[in-house]
Amino acid sequence: MHRHSILPTGLGRSLAFVTLVIIIGAAFTAVEPRFLSTQNIAAVTRHMAANGLAALGLTFVVIVRKFDLSFAGTACFAAMTIGFLIAGGYDLWLCILIGVLAAVVVGTFNGIAISYFGLPDIVTTIATGSIAGGLAFLYSRGRTIFQNFVTSGILDLNDARILGYSVSFFFLIALYAVAWVFMHRTRYGASFYATGENPVSAYFSGVPTKFYTMLAFIICAATSALAVVLILAESGTADTNEGANLLMPAYAGVFLGAALLGGTSVLATLAGTFLITMLLDGFSLLGVPYYYSDGVVSLILLAGVVLFDARVRQLFADLVSFVRPSTQVRENRT
Amino acid sequence: MTVPAISARAVSKRFGPISALSDVDFVLETGEVHALLGVNGAGKSTFIKILSGVYAKDEGTIEIAGEGFDCRNPKDAIRYGIATVQQHPELVADFTGYENIFLGREAATASFTARMDRTALQRRGDALLSRFPVEIDLSRTIQDMSAVEREIVAILQAIAGENIRILILDEPTSTLTEVEKAVLFRLMKTLRTSGISILYITHRLEEVMEIADRFSVFRGGRMIATMTPDEVREKNLSLAELMLGETMGAVFPKKGEPADLGELVLNVRGLRHGRLFSNIGFQLQRGEILGIFGLVGSGIDELSKVLYGALSKDMGEIELKGEKVSLRSPRDSLKAGIFLVPGDRRIEGLALAQSAIFNTTLANLGRASGFAGFLKRSVNKLKSVEYAGRVALNPPNVTMPVSGFSGGNQQKIVIAKGLFADADVYIFVEPTVGVDIGARAKLYGLMRELSRTAGVIVMSTDCDEVHGISDRSFALYKGRQIASPGTIFTRNQLLMAGIMGDAHHA
Amino acid sequence: MTDITTIHPVTDRGQSRMINRFIGRYWLVATLVVMIAVFAFLKPQLLDNSNIATILRSSALMAIMILGLTWVIAAGKIDVSFMQVAALSNMMTAWLLASGSGWPLAALGGICVGALAGLLNGTLIALLRIPPLIVTIATGGICASIAAALGKGTSIRIADPGPLGEMLFTNWGPVPVIAVVAALLYLISWYAQEKLTFGHYIFATAQNEEAVNEAGIPARSLILFLFVFSAVLSAIAGVLLAASLSSGQPMIGSSYFIDGLTAVLLGGMMLRIGKPNVLGTTTAILLLSVLVSGSAMFGWADYQRQIIKGVLLLVGVAVAMRAGRRISSHSQGA
Repeated sequence: MHRHSILPTGLGRSLAFVTLVIIIGAAFTAVEPRFLSTQNIAAVTRHMAANGLAALGLTFVVIVRKFDLSFAGTACFAAMTIGFLIAGGYDLWLCILIGVLAAVVVGTFNGIAISYFGLPDIVTTIATGSIAGGLAFLYSRGRTIFQNFVTSGILDLNDARILGYSVSFFFLIALYAVAWVFMHRTRYGASFYATGENPVSAYFSGVPTKFYTMLAFIICAATSALAVVLILAESGTADTNEGANLLMPAYAGVFLGAALLGGTSVLATLAGTFLITMLLDGFSLLGVPYYYSDGVVSLILLAGVVLFDARVRQLFADLVSFVRPSTQVRENRT
Repeated sequence: MTVPAISARAVSKRFGPISALSDVDFVLETGEVHALLGVNGAGKSTFIKILSGVYAKDEGTIEIAGEGFDCRNPKDAIRYGIATVQQHPELVADFTGYENIFLGREAATASFTARMDRTALQRRGDALLSRFPVEIDLSRTIQDMSAVEREIVAILQAIAGENIRILILDEPTSTLTEVEKAVLFRLMKTLRTSGISILYITHRLEEVMEIADRFSVFRGGRMIATMTPDEVREKNLSLAELMLGETMGAVFPKKGEPADLGELVLNVRGLRHGRLFSNIGFQLQRGEILGIFGLVGSGIDELSKVLYGALSKDMGEIELKGEKVSLRSPRDSLKAGIFLVPGDRRIEGLALAQSAIFNTTLANLGRASGFAGFLKRSVNKLKSVEYAGRVALNPPNVTMPVSGFSGGNQQKIVIAKGLFADADVYIFVEPTVGVDIGARAKLYGLMRELSRTAGVIVMSTDCDEVHGISDRSFALYKGRQIASPGTIFTRNQLLMAGIMGDAHHA
Repeated sequence: MTDITTIHPVTDRGQSRMINRFIGRYWLVATLVVMIAVFAFLKPQLLDNSNIATILRSSALMAIMILGLTWVIAAGKIDVSFMQVAALSNMMTAWLLASGSGWPLAALGGICVGALAGLLNGTLIALLRIPPLIVTIATGGICASIAAALGKGTSIRIADPGPLGEMLFTNWGPVPVIAVVAALLYLISWYAQEKLTFGHYIFATAQNEEAVNEAGIPARSLILFLFVFSAVLSAIAGVLLAASLSSGQPMIGSSYFIDGLTAVLLGGMMLRIGKPNVLGTTTAILLLSVLVSGSAMFGWADYQRQIIKGVLLLVGVAVAMRAGRRISSHSQGA
């Protein structure tokens, strides 16, 4: 069934998004002029990095039409692994590498269980997330790790600046750029989309669908580990629930972006994450207490999903066509 | 003279600027089986949807058994005694037949707090079933049932409501075999005798002659004729021409000449898969179309999947261009040069939300991309446009999502995908299911064109299709290969081979 | 998605299938019995009256909280907001008490906010048809924020646990009154699930919502009801927890989250394989409570139990998948 929608698609949606950002930005600036200060913009971009990384990995999982609820637990595990190794005096990059590998192990387990053994995604990832979250306690029996953090150089990841902006932000943008090229300009991206859209037809077209599904879970675990590295760099200690707060913003970023831009994609996730970070930052500038942040993110997510939902838009379209009947073309094919 | 079951006068329906139905007069007599014919978009579905309460008519009057018909939703339609069985009826897969028939009618009044009396359901189901000459075990779950059993459950579910007098069947036979069709027709005849009038849509013209008392032809939103099969026979009319409104050329292209035959591309020996088929062997050369006819469950579906690597073989050998190949997945087969145009294109053939370019290139991403896997976007677009032209895609828009194309054109996109895959062997399974008669000739022509440079296998449950398109053919009967007693099958021999497993008694 | 493709004859049915069925149906009960036997053998104090009462009391609270969740998941949806709903009603009750209202009003207030959350879930999912996971992640976030805001980020003390507190700590022999209440509730629910069309329609909805709609059953109302029911029961559990702990805890739910989902999903692996049901949930809750109690006697830490629960959930899913598997994998492109 073809539906004639009055809301724009493609370029129109992107323009609508930019307009939305400008309006919100203007509103915040009007109430609190500091919103546009260099300092604040630098803060927005830095805060965006960790959530944006986690959301990027989740995007791959959502594109293959699965859910991953384990990456927060996985991130905690990776955080404690890295913290433990830093405390042990190992080279920082080695610590990060092993931390990411630890997450990749969990992601691979998810991927194999779900794609090759056909276990249900939500249940499996709840279980592995729980296990990974438990494993995070093994290194220090749950105690915070902080030894060697100052000397290891990890704090530089948070503090280093290029042109006044945090290095982590440039890292985020670079990674998104790579992901975009990968998803939209290479055969591998096409395979991801084909797997998500219709796994049977993709399989019949010679796409190794199970491999790509597994790969999505691995990527998701890896980026959540990278995200937690930035969180470690910011806090300067490793705690057992260091990654727990990644879940909510990542889902919000992916689905709000998908709602705004009309489909799950790398760019949509970036847009969603950006909008959420901007709103959160604005509210915190206005002095809204920290514990409202989850609620704010949730409300934005719900509002975005509901307002940009195809059926709600159809409702608008119907209302318009009620006034101008000729605009409505609802052809029905047999 | 009894009052007609349905009497419609000057019914019209518009969707925006498009007129879907104009000025339709229609009469359904009580206790008749009345077929509705027409190509896709001719208006028959719109008409059915008005009767079943999905759409409201814009103009005209409809009377049901002499009573004015004012129907706003499907529930209203049921109140008027009209029940509809969709083309793909919605059933609960792991509920039994009984539970499905009475879903929502377990108790006298529909409520969430009524008692679930499973023995009563069984009793009522058996009582209902005893009125009809069909044998079916309703205590099995839907997922364990065959296609015809599901159709029967759906029909029983439709007529289990009180005082159903009119039954609408939307392409009930599209997934049924010849034998199963006979069961369904028996059920329809009994329903007719018990005073239920039946209105049914079909694409299979020979059925109309077999089961319908009368039929009506829709074309371009108008009803252009109502007549009986006898009249058709007397006047020697062609139903296809009536539907298309023009003299139809031959549906099937010319057969191949021996001179066209080229290299031996596929050589299959002693192929076996579990109990589904065994000892299948045949050869295929470039320049020919090999037809394989078999009923649903005969093993043709599985045979196609084994040849394509989607199912593993237990025994036997497959040689491609003289080399033995081991096909463990469609990926292997595509690399080796086999392409499958699957039977269920919506599930197995296409990514519906993606563009024609995306779908065209998907089966050969190696060709579609260059260094480091980067897609050659402009080349791919050019190629897609070229192939869209070759298969006469309509509309020739390669960036539109494929869900926007008609069934026949979606099938053309799958063929374009095959062209891009550049295979040596093309296997078509049920190539024209859901494709209207107008688009079929084009598809058959494309198959013949493909056979000029490659070997083509056509597998179908439609005997006429297999016989009409192929140069050589064999039948599959319960997993057994039935070869022709002579050099090639006659149409009747092929039919008997597929249905009875024996071509000699034709 | 019910495909109308051919179903292939399954070989080796018969005996091994019977055994599979039996294992699939009763393995959870067997595990429970074995676990009790092993723990009781090693630590006889597990079966002390007071310990049994503790186990039953915590089980009863959990059981009340996730009864509705059981049916939500049985209907093929998911609700991950239940623990935040409990936290919200818990805090709302404590807040109302702290602002001077009596227990009846406070309890009612707690249940009402829960019902509102359920109504929000149900409306968005049943009427606007937005994916349940997204909706309940978001409503969960909103509830958590409001809960935290009520206590300005910390807990609220309750001076007098009131009649509910008294009831909670009244035992009949080793059986707490609340356990009897929960058992009665489950008995009624079992009746509704097995003997009324209500339960029949829940399982039908999970399989094929479209078929349920076409049969004239208001599936949307059913789904709406299930979400409201789930939230109300979580809210009741939240109120009871307020009385039990003599305080409102904004983070109260987090420990229940994984346990609740584990119990429902594990329970769904018995009796009706792959379908959550109230008897399965009961068994699984008891199993988890015995595990918690027994492992505490061995001095196992929280995180060790968390790992064990995760493993249990994974194994449960894997076992049930094996037992209930149909040989139709190739049609899925296996």
